[in-house]
Amino acid sequence: MKSSASFRKWVVQSPPVEFLLEHGSAAVKDVLLGALRHGPVPKHIAFVMDGNRRFARSKRQEVTEGHSAGFEALARILEICYKIGVKVVTVYAFSIENFKRSRSEVDNLMDMAKMRLGQLAQHGQLLDKYGAKIQLLGRREMIRPDVLETLDQAMELTRHNTKAVLNICAPYTSRDEMATAIQKTVVQYCQPLRPRLRRPFSETHIARQIEAGRIKSLERATSGMPESTRAMESTEEEDYVYKPSTPGTGAVYQDILQAVESLLDEAADENTATADEEVIAGATSSILVYLKDITLSQEEKLIEVRDILDFDLSDAQLQELQSLADKLTDYQTKTAVSESTTLGNNGEHANASPRPPLPPMYPDIENIDENTLTSHTYTGSDAPPLDLLIRTSGVERLSDFMLWQCHQTTEVRFVDCYWPEFGLWHFVPIILEWQWKQNKETSGASEN
Amino acid sequence: MLSARQTAAFYDNSSLEGHELSARERESIMKPLLPEPPSNDSKSTVMLQERIHQRAESKRKERKKPIRTTLRHWLYMAFHTIIHIFFGIHIRIRKSIRAVKHRWSAVFNYHHRTPELIRKDMKNISKMPQHLSVALELNTQDDRQAAMATLVNDVGDLTSWCAASGISFLSVYEKTGVLKRTVPELHIAISQTLHRYFARENTPHLSIRVSSEPAYSPPTTPPNQPNAHSPFTITVLLLSADDGRSSMVDLAKVLAGMAQKGNLAPVDINADLIDAELTELVMDEPELLILFGPRVVLDGYPPWQVRLTEIFHLPDYTEGVSYSVFTQALNNYASAQKRFGT
Repeated sequence: MKSSASFRKWVVQSPPVEFLLEHGSAAVKDVLLGALRHGPVPKHIAFVMDGNRRFARSKRQEVTEGHSAGFEALARILEICYKIGVKVVTVYAFSIENFKRSRSEVDNLMDMAKMRLGQLAQHGQLLDKYGAKIQLLGRREMIRPDVLETLDQAMELTRHNTKAVLNICAPYTSRDEMATAIQKTVVQYCQPLRPRLRRPFSETHIARQIEAGRIKSLERATSGMPESTRAMESTEEEDYVYKPSTPGTGAVYQDILQAVESLLDEAADENTATADEEVIAGATSSILVYLKDITLSQEEKLIEVRDILDFDLSDAQLQELQSLADKLTDYQTKTAVSESTTLGNNGEHANASPRPPLPPMYPDIENIDENTLTSHTYTGSDAPPLDLLIRTSGVERLSDFMLWQCHQTTEVRFVDCYWPEFGLWHFVPIILEWQWKQNKETSGASEN
Repeated sequence: MLSARQTAAFYDNSSLEGHELSARERESIMKPLLPEPPSNDSKSTVMLQERIHQRAESKRKERKKPIRTTLRHWLYMAFHTIIHIFFGIHIRIRKSIRAVKHRWSAVFNYHHRTPELIRKDMKNISKMPQHLSVALELNTQDDRQAAMATLVNDVGDLTSWCAASGISFLSVYEKTGVLKRTVPELHIAISQTLHRYFARENTPHLSIRVSSEPAYSPPTTPPNQPNAHSPFTITVLLLSADDGRSSMVDLAKVLAGMAQKGNLAPVDINADLIDAELTELVMDEPELLILFGPRVVLDGYPPWQVRLTEIFHLPDYTEGVSYSVFTQALNNYASAQKRFGT
């Protein structure tokens, strides 16, 4: 018994073995990852980092310690991923549903994210070594503002990196992502098309030219051209100014004018400039254009109106203006008006009764397809398709993660260990099997 | 390795004296563990001259040891090949062992087309899914008619097993949608299978649904008449790849059209609205999805509805639809529900 112990000691302390033990594991890892790099490698891997809490419970630790261990596991896996050449890693850090957890746990998670990302941001160079860029996918506005600030710093610091991407999904659910993608698509298709006024040629003019060419000689026919194009340009430049058409809307319009004037006065106190009537009317018209645009969100409207007034107005003030603007029932959108006026101007129907305003031109909804929606997801259309989705802790469901991205050719792997335990020896077999399958498919394809 | 004290300091973000670590102190702790900073710094702030200089230097370095680089490359290639040879052997052995296991359990788990036996198998399962979903595949390598016959047969068996276990809603996903095109024939085929399993008076009533269309239950012919008062109705919903992304694209088109006409503000579009529409048109979330393939690849399965679905598959399983997988899936589902208490 004693001799075997001393023998083991002798072996362990012998120079070659000692050297191997000290540097061996790192060397083995390097060779292994270097070898993996030489096969096909998934371009995009997603992880559901599940089991931090159960890991902590099984070790009789605090939940926070479990999350810390999870963060270390993430760092470990990221290094492996980037070393073997994975381009995009997407991790599920925080679900919108997680806000339903205990207040203290949510706060702890936020504190940890802030501290870790703060550290990350302070060591910008360390991230550079893998050339990885951090991106945040999810509902930004739900994150605590102080945490968001550190997150933004981390993203800013790594923005110039192009070799790899780390997508942090927080606070994220896939249904929310898909709903947002549909919403953004709808918004995109509600942007009126620029009416075809930009082209300097007019159809009626061309028709007239042809007619003239038939009847008269060519020299006399070319005389009308410059005049008509000038007319086109002038209508194009003209800004739409709203004029109330009924007494009721006239009163509302006066209210709006007064509201804008008082706002301008407030702004003037700050900027030391006074506004005359013409300026007020002009500002009101341009504010109305934005307030009446249904495709703009409340925030976008706020930004635009602030821009016009050069004044930091509050949400309540915008609400007030909006409610006034909603009462103007005879308002026409800018494009509709400009379209109808230009048609009236350059056509031969100038003397005819005024046409009903044309509805604004919208893009054809039949052009919406899968790619449109994909381009509006958080991952966007630039990210390579998801090759592999790995979920730890033995739960065999997707739990609202990457549904849109993973429901086609992605291989989903459920691993039966807690996330903090997930490491090289769990990960490498998965990659190997993926490579093996990939090799088989390519050789099968070449045989056929 | 770091000392315990250093590790503690790094995790707590405070030094031994108790004040917060500065970035420099943290870097000095971690320095021995980190690789050299990259030579080709891509930061735009780096002066151009410096970069040119660096590049020249790194080129010189590369030129200095081409043999070493080539050797390393060869070493990695060799390792890659060796690892994959061993891994290939490992996978083949694993597959054959699992195949034997699967055969074995298939022999021991057989239903003998008797609902009573199936019911007995299900007795110990504490929780049954209300809505079960299965993904099937049309075997394209076989002759088309034979493949179709297998598929219809499988759907018939699955429907009977579900009916015997008390599951009243079964959705069948088949990517290409061949099943959807032959609903009346399918109805006859499944009904026949049900008759083979159940006694005449107990045969459950069958209704087949294709998304966005009314359910198909043919005008009851005289032999079916006694089943009208049957206690159990099973609904089979046929799904294809069209019910996945395409249905969502269609929904987006309709919503965009409404918004263009001013009937809908984009801010009103949210997950609840979309969920309500897709549930109505396609289906509700299934509680359990059984894949009869060797790997978990969803292959176009409707993404919206698969959110919280328990996904069951047997690794390396290639035998197609079988009763033993069905029972294992249900057992697994019940134990998972127990574990997570949802």
